[in-house]
Amino acid sequence: MFLARVKRKVVASAKHPAYNGKRVFVVQTVNPEGKEKGEEWLAMDYVSAGIGDIVVCGGAPGVAKDIFKLDLAPIRTLIIAIVERIDYKDGNRYCTVQLR
Amino acid sequence: MKLAKVIGVVWATQKVPEIKGCRLFVVQPVNGVDMKPKNKPIVAADPHSLAATGDYVVVVTNTDATQAFDSGFAPVNASIVELVDDLD
Repeated sequence: MFLARVKRKVVASAKHPAYNGKRVFVVQTVNPEGKEKGEEWLAMDYVSAGIGDIVVCGGAPGVAKDIFKLDLAPIRTLIIAIVERIDYKDGNRYCTVQLR
Repeated sequence: MKLAKVIGVVWATQKVPEIKGCRLFVVQPVNGVDMKPKNKPIVAADPHSLAATGDYVVVVTNTDATQAFDSGFAPVNASIVELVDDLD
């Protein structure tokens, strides 16, 4: 699982039947302060995220198959949570980032 | 799941039965934010005949790639699952 910011929405008309009615976003990994770190992925929306949100992404083989109740699901990364607050320890300092 | 650009076609007559009738493309993974190429090109199967050369596509890799086939089983490592029209 990783923290990421939702950057863009993928618009597609021709798709695999498993992707019908689902939204796919470009997400970019961020560090706990919410700064963009670089690597980007595509992730399928499962929690109605929007562009600009900090989200938790994750996935494993077979997970999408179970949660979307599909026979065949060529889907890996899912947006599984929208982040409200991050508490982390930077050296000896405890930090809080309130996002909404 | 990664964004990639289709840069070529792989022609092969002798194929395993599981991927008969499925086209194979050379795809270059790109950065979804600035659309710059990254890493090396890979070969991806296109079981639903979505892509053509020059298109941007969504590619799934590893275990999930086999799920793109109707049989749910194929000896592939990457599959094309969406043809990208636009990025908002």
